[in-house]
Amino acid sequence: MKAATALLFLMMVPLAFAAWQTTAAVAIATSIGLLGAIYILGMGFGISELQMTAKEEFFQLIAAALMIVFLVGGDSALNAISTNFGDSGSATLQEAARASIDTTLTGVTGLMTSIEGTDKAAAIEGSKASSCSILGMGYSVSGCGSYTMLATPLSMAGGITGFAVGELYTMKRLIQLSEGFAFPFLLPLGIVLRTFKFTRGAGGLLIALAISLHILLPIGLIFNDMLGATFLDPPGTDNDALSAPYKAVPQSVSLSCNPGDTGPDNENNAVGGYHTLRTNLRVYLFTMLIQATLGPVLALLMMSTGLRTLTSLAGAEVDVSAISRFV
Amino acid sequence: MAYLCGPEFGAFFSDSVLPLLVYAASALIGLIGIAYMAGTATSNAKLTLWSKTEAVQFVVSTVSVFLIITTMNTFCAIKINEIASIFDMPAAAGDPDIYAAANGYLLDAAIYSHNALTVVRYHLEAYTTLSFFNAFMCDLATGRIGWGCLFGYSGESQQPLGGYSVQTAAMNIFFNGAIIAHFMSLNFIFILLFVYKGFVFLFLPLGVFMRSMPYMRSFGSLLVALAISFLLIYPFLLAVMYLMRSVLVDADTGYTPLPVPMSGYDERRYDDMVNGGDMIAMSTLGEEYVWHCYFSVDGCGWSGDSKENLPGAIGFASNAFVAAVFFPSVALLATIASVGYIARLYGDEIDLSRITQLV
Repeated sequence: MKAATALLFLMMVPLAFAAWQTTAAVAIATSIGLLGAIYILGMGFGISELQMTAKEEFFQLIAAALMIVFLVGGDSALNAISTNFGDSGSATLQEAARASIDTTLTGVTGLMTSIEGTDKAAAIEGSKASSCSILGMGYSVSGCGSYTMLATPLSMAGGITGFAVGELYTMKRLIQLSEGFAFPFLLPLGIVLRTFKFTRGAGGLLIALAISLHILLPIGLIFNDMLGATFLDPPGTDNDALSAPYKAVPQSVSLSCNPGDTGPDNENNAVGGYHTLRTNLRVYLFTMLIQATLGPVLALLMMSTGLRTLTSLAGAEVDVSAISRFV
Repeated sequence: MAYLCGPEFGAFFSDSVLPLLVYAASALIGLIGIAYMAGTATSNAKLTLWSKTEAVQFVVSTVSVFLIITTMNTFCAIKINEIASIFDMPAAAGDPDIYAAANGYLLDAAIYSHNALTVVRYHLEAYTTLSFFNAFMCDLATGRIGWGCLFGYSGESQQPLGGYSVQTAAMNIFFNGAIIAHFMSLNFIFILLFVYKGFVFLFLPLGVFMRSMPYMRSFGSLLVALAISFLLIYPFLLAVMYLMRSVLVDADTGYTPLPVPMSGYDERRYDDMVNGGDMIAMSTLGEEYVWHCYFSVDGCGWSGDSKENLPGAIGFASNAFVAAVFFPSVALLATIASVGYIARLYGDEIDLSRITQLV
């Protein structure tokens, strides 16, 4: 209850104005000035339509101002949540999201290096062939063909890992844009553009894009991290059997082939390597699928859904379903 | 290209678009006048009312055209650094106007996506070539010299650099992604060129005329809304992205997020190695030497910093997708949405949701 009250308090009382809040306030003041000028023009030339337009737009501006006030409070509250639950050293949502991406990226590239190493070993062993010829007589044996069965799953793993790395880099770039431009640039510009009827759609989109980038995108990542952390270390349990395989370190895959041996040893070694890879699968799954794939997908879907809803709230719905299809 | 804010375009506007606008307006006024006279002469209240309504709509259309031209002139006068200074952002090189900035962003995105394509292609080429490198290791070896081949052919053949299927699979996906990003950036440039070449201006006289024709109000409104959206909203949103180019397309670091400059990913490696010594060295000096030919910043040899950067190449292609597909698509979707929104301001409902499916 206390936490809920504290959250409500934070939502309603914007504390500590930083740079973007000032710019947003200046944008609202600029919009008021522009509407005032239109109203005065209408009054001076006796054009009641202009006065009515200015009044109508003023109400829109009040709505935008309320949205900003709510946003300031909301942002503070979400920052507080991310500080408490996310990365402990982060002061804002974006910092927490960036720290989360960097950690996941390190994990994914580490696993990718491990997969590359296995692939390299399997390919070298699989390509081996032994030859012996003296004075034109001899033999050639290739006893390592069984290792080629590892190439397909490893190649698929490469594709999945590549996707994961790509998604994380995309997230990183969007968070960079969010930090640099969402609230200091896109939001105030959107407020000014939203003041006029013809540019209301563009203004609404910029406001929605700013809010989605600044809040919904990082919060998607952080919430996914929170879910993941709860799964890995459930409260009240020291050694959770369910999550243990997902936190383990991958076993090294032993691959060694004697190309001159046509007996079962080489085949058994290759099958042994395959089994080790299968055992390692759950170690890779959590990082690859939950942290590096589900997290970004969740964040992007939250962002695109928020974009559509917020543009609608801002007065001009933009059909961003095409963007959602990128996910 | 007749630059939208240049004298050539002014000549095109005053010689082609303005006369057409005047013809359309004159024809419309004449038609409305005749209809009004006919209505009065035949005491047909419907016809008189139609004439009066269309006279008001004509004024609305004329004011819209005036607003478009005034806003365009303003866009030509506003320099992008003036906007940057308002938001305390770093100044852009060249200080273009809004229309040039919009074009500039898309050109930047095309360069950036092409650079991403180059880096991914370089890695893909290197991995493919290295994978097929074969070696025969003679038995009884002393270092790289195998005595087992002295009197015959005894040893092991293998592909010492064959293990690149993980990298190749990952690179294939992002090679496709980078191609799509590059093609999309070119596509967006062509849409902008279509606007800048002035064809959209022909929608204006047609729109003004059609809006007052019976049963053609929606079509006329659509033409005027298209002109407003593609002449004002689309370039403006792209110009906004131009101000974010330091991050979006890494404009301050040579259009690449990687520490190795683009010249380091020259894809003509194999051409360079066809002559003489390098080819012999590649055949005899072993896999490490071959690897360095592709991935060392110093070229063929046994030392030098690596420029192999698989996660970096993937990240580059991902960034290119954000810069050349995601953000310009948002601008286009907003423009299409504003067509519907502006048409609604003219009192007509136009459903463009099908068009957005094409994006």
